[in-house]
Amino acid sequence: MKQLKLKNLFIGVAAISSLASCHKDKINPNDDKPIDPLTNKAGIYILNQGAFNANNSTLTYYDYASKKLVPDQFKTINGRGLGDTGNDIKIYGSKMYIVVNVSSTVEVADAKTAKSIKKLDFFDNTVARQPRSVAFYKNMALITSYDGTVAVLDTASLTVTKYIKVGRNPEQLVVANDKLYVANSGGLDFGNPDKTVSVVDLNTLTETKKITVALNPVSIAADKYGDVYVISMGDFDKVLPSLTIINTATDAVKQQSDLSAAYGTPIITSGDFAYFVTADNKIQVFNVKTETLEKASFISDGTVVTTPFGLKIDEETGELFVTDAKDYKSNGEVFAFDKTGKKEYSLTTGITPGAIAFVKK
Amino acid sequence: MKKNLHCVYKLLPASALGAVIFMLQVTLSNKASAQTDTAKKLNEVTISTSTIPQIQTITPAQQVSAIDFTRNSAFTVADAIRNFAGVNIKDYGGIGGVKTVLVRSLGANHTGIFYDGVQLNDAQNGQIDLGRLNLNNVQSITLYNGQPDNICAPARAFASASVLSIKTIRPSLNAEKPYQVLVGIKGGSFGLINPYIQWQQRISKNWSAVVNSYLEKADGQYKYKVNGDGSDTLATRRNGDIKAQQADAALYWTKSDSNQFNLHVNYYNSNRGLPGAVVFYNPYSKQRVQNRDIYVQAGYEHLWTNSLHLLLNTKLSRLYTHYTDPDFLNNQGGLNYKYTQKEVYQSATLAYHILSNWEVSYAADFAYTHLDANVANYACPSRSTLLNAIASNLVAGKWRFQGSLLNSNISESVKTGKSSASRNVYSPALMATFKPFNNSNFQLRAFYKNSFRYPTFDEFYYFAIQVRDLKPEFAKQYDLGATYTKSLNSWLDYITFTADAYYNNVTDKILSIPNQNPYISSISNLGKVDVKGIDVSIKTQSKLSNNWRALLTANYSFQKAIDVSDPASSVYLEQIPYSPKHTVAINAGIDHQRFGIYYNQILSSSRYYSGENLPENLLSGYSVSDASAVYNFLIKSKQVTASVEVNNLFNANYAVIRSFPLPGRSYRLSIQIKI
Repeated sequence: MKQLKLKNLFIGVAAISSLASCHKDKINPNDDKPIDPLTNKAGIYILNQGAFNANNSTLTYYDYASKKLVPDQFKTINGRGLGDTGNDIKIYGSKMYIVVNVSSTVEVADAKTAKSIKKLDFFDNTVARQPRSVAFYKNMALITSYDGTVAVLDTASLTVTKYIKVGRNPEQLVVANDKLYVANSGGLDFGNPDKTVSVVDLNTLTETKKITVALNPVSIAADKYGDVYVISMGDFDKVLPSLTIINTATDAVKQQSDLSAAYGTPIITSGDFAYFVTADNKIQVFNVKTETLEKASFISDGTVVTTPFGLKIDEETGELFVTDAKDYKSNGEVFAFDKTGKKEYSLTTGITPGAIAFVKK
Repeated sequence: MKKNLHCVYKLLPASALGAVIFMLQVTLSNKASAQTDTAKKLNEVTISTSTIPQIQTITPAQQVSAIDFTRNSAFTVADAIRNFAGVNIKDYGGIGGVKTVLVRSLGANHTGIFYDGVQLNDAQNGQIDLGRLNLNNVQSITLYNGQPDNICAPARAFASASVLSIKTIRPSLNAEKPYQVLVGIKGGSFGLINPYIQWQQRISKNWSAVVNSYLEKADGQYKYKVNGDGSDTLATRRNGDIKAQQADAALYWTKSDSNQFNLHVNYYNSNRGLPGAVVFYNPYSKQRVQNRDIYVQAGYEHLWTNSLHLLLNTKLSRLYTHYTDPDFLNNQGGLNYKYTQKEVYQSATLAYHILSNWEVSYAADFAYTHLDANVANYACPSRSTLLNAIASNLVAGKWRFQGSLLNSNISESVKTGKSSASRNVYSPALMATFKPFNNSNFQLRAFYKNSFRYPTFDEFYYFAIQVRDLKPEFAKQYDLGATYTKSLNSWLDYITFTADAYYNNVTDKILSIPNQNPYISSISNLGKVDVKGIDVSIKTQSKLSNNWRALLTANYSFQKAIDVSDPASSVYLEQIPYSPKHTVAINAGIDHQRFGIYYNQILSSSRYYSGENLPENLLSGYSVSDASAVYNFLIKSKQVTASVEVNNLFNANYAVIRSFPLPGRSYRLSIQIKI
């Protein structure tokens, strides 16, 4: 018996080792050599959501000086992964805030190195709150969670001081006119989504109003003229995605219009323009001053972005960064375009790249 | 399906996420059916170990019988067949975890699971959880690539790419001892307690009955290592508890071997926790699923002296699934879904020997399946399936030929919305064996089979605003093999050897294509897969010498299963997810009179959990060993069998499915008395 066992073991070891040696080792290639940036960016972080339940949300980092691409800077520096479905990343001061949805954590890390300073577990007893997005005001990081709350995180002590009750399954949030606007999606109620934006008084930290917008609001951004732009996703059936513009002086809806928006598209603003992704995967530019369409398609050189997924503007250079989620299963890509919509370079990312943050020199 | 859908999750805000979680949960809440029986001559079952296993079948067939279960340290049907060549068990881990079978890199829905000749059908998601099928009342399990070689069979037996045929124990009693009772209990790791009883009763010359019942209770907890979250201690897998009970009763009327009837009633009830994927930093799951399934099955078989052979089968089933997730963050305070699937099935087959070496058959099956669910806007579909199959078996000299042609006519209706389009499909199969040498034990065989698996109710209707436009997923199989069997006069009793090379081509593979809007087009027929593989099996046993005897079975499988869907895609020509290139399974043992000790070894090369064959998508290979020992003795002239089984002897840390770690070393003790 003993011999028999040893023999089997030997066969096992031999088989495994011979098989192990046949793996292809593919290194993520840099498709293009990124050019030197025009600004004081030291590097760019791309937060990849990874595949659901695969714990492979990663943080791609590209360093402009060394031209080095790190597939997962977070894991490299911390020796552990971000977890499952990193949904938002923002840098505020010297710290970086990474919101991880399914793992239900918020990682607060050093912005330059991604070294974790604190991992905040977002649980109500054993119920995962499922944090989604972060915004900042003074010494507060404000974090939406699917459990219908906005957490108030003190950026100095890194403790949550309050949970503000808002609507159902809040998604994105934005500070405008010294108030906080939260898109309440209600998206976990199939067939019965929410249709409100909560207004939160940032002094009393309470919800003061719910503004009715189009069904299933998700993305939100503020312009410099005192308006907040909300994209609602509709009900995926008869109610189409639409744009609601809120006047923050009166907290009344100024305009509401159907638009050909991709489901789940972000909306970002910069100067006189807002950018979002259309249903046919174009990046459209909206003029927030005139409140009319500026450009039907931002990309001017024919570059194909298969599945535009995340958008981010470098305010200093006007460069637009667009992530490409491809088929949501394979590694993605991030494209940098100059102001005129011409591609500058692209970088290989992890699976489903969704959010971007720039690190200053 | 589950895997592909994952990605949708992240693209989307909450609304879509709801759908995906929902679909995911359905996959997990997998409703296998329990058991039943219908007397039917599907295949001869060899119980005695001293006879040579019958391996020279027209299509490859692999069998294990009751005596092998302990040798394989098997607790469920999934464990019992995991050594088979060409088989991969998709194991989500733990005692209540879903286990489905993939044969030759075809999806789980391509294998038909038959209980005593009648299929366990699930139209909702098409996946039968083999981990739910307890071995207490099982006599034998046979896997046929292609189809079983008995052509007097229900039309459904011709309808799958492969058939896993499970046969339950039939009473064999006489007037001197008109009853036999088996009482036993299994218990061990995971807090498992599994008492069972089997009562066989001879009622009269023609009538007999069997009643089986068991209870199963386990907390399902085990230690595992989380890789990548920075933890250095072992975590405990929780919410994997199960409480299940099953009762089945069978009544047999046997006028003669050629005139018999049977009736079965089967009830299964379980309540289990779903531990879910291991998610870093979020170890909590409160998802639960309850199953309550019942079915009644009857069969009648008559063989007239003129060789006309009639086979009738009837089945009524009701499968109830209740899924809850109190932590789901919707307005109702959690998910609470109930599904009831009902099916009426009738089959009739006639076979006739035109000449002594030429048999023909005709089979017609009709099934009506309906699914009700308390899901908003759910279609509540009904499906009518009419199958007609003709088959022929001809022996001519050194040749044997078999062919069948199946016509499937499937149509659906729905309570709300639009139903799927009706389909009418012809599926041929051709098989042959050839014995090149006289007086030799060497045979060649070949088969071609064209089959399909129909889209499930979930794929058509689940969270679909409109019914999804799906075609059946087709699989063409080509197999060429050789078999050799010899009984020996040396210290070996016999040796059998089989080797088959095959090519499978899957077209219109049903894929969930993530899309920003999962409600409209997340599932379509865009996949194509090419599988080239080799299955090799060897079985041998030594002669009894001083009451010692040694046994050895070894299987090797090679599978190159590549994605050939889209040359522009990054996964083109890459190995498909969860398909190991190499698998080795070895089972060896030694018997000495009443005592036996056995060792089982499975080796799997690494697999990718995603379509891109990148190092970061690699799931490492594993080597898992099991050992068992059996001792038979008498207490007051009653036969008692005691056994101890150790699974994962060397405490390997491994997973078959990413994020679903499997248990380390575990133990199981069993004792059974025959009265």
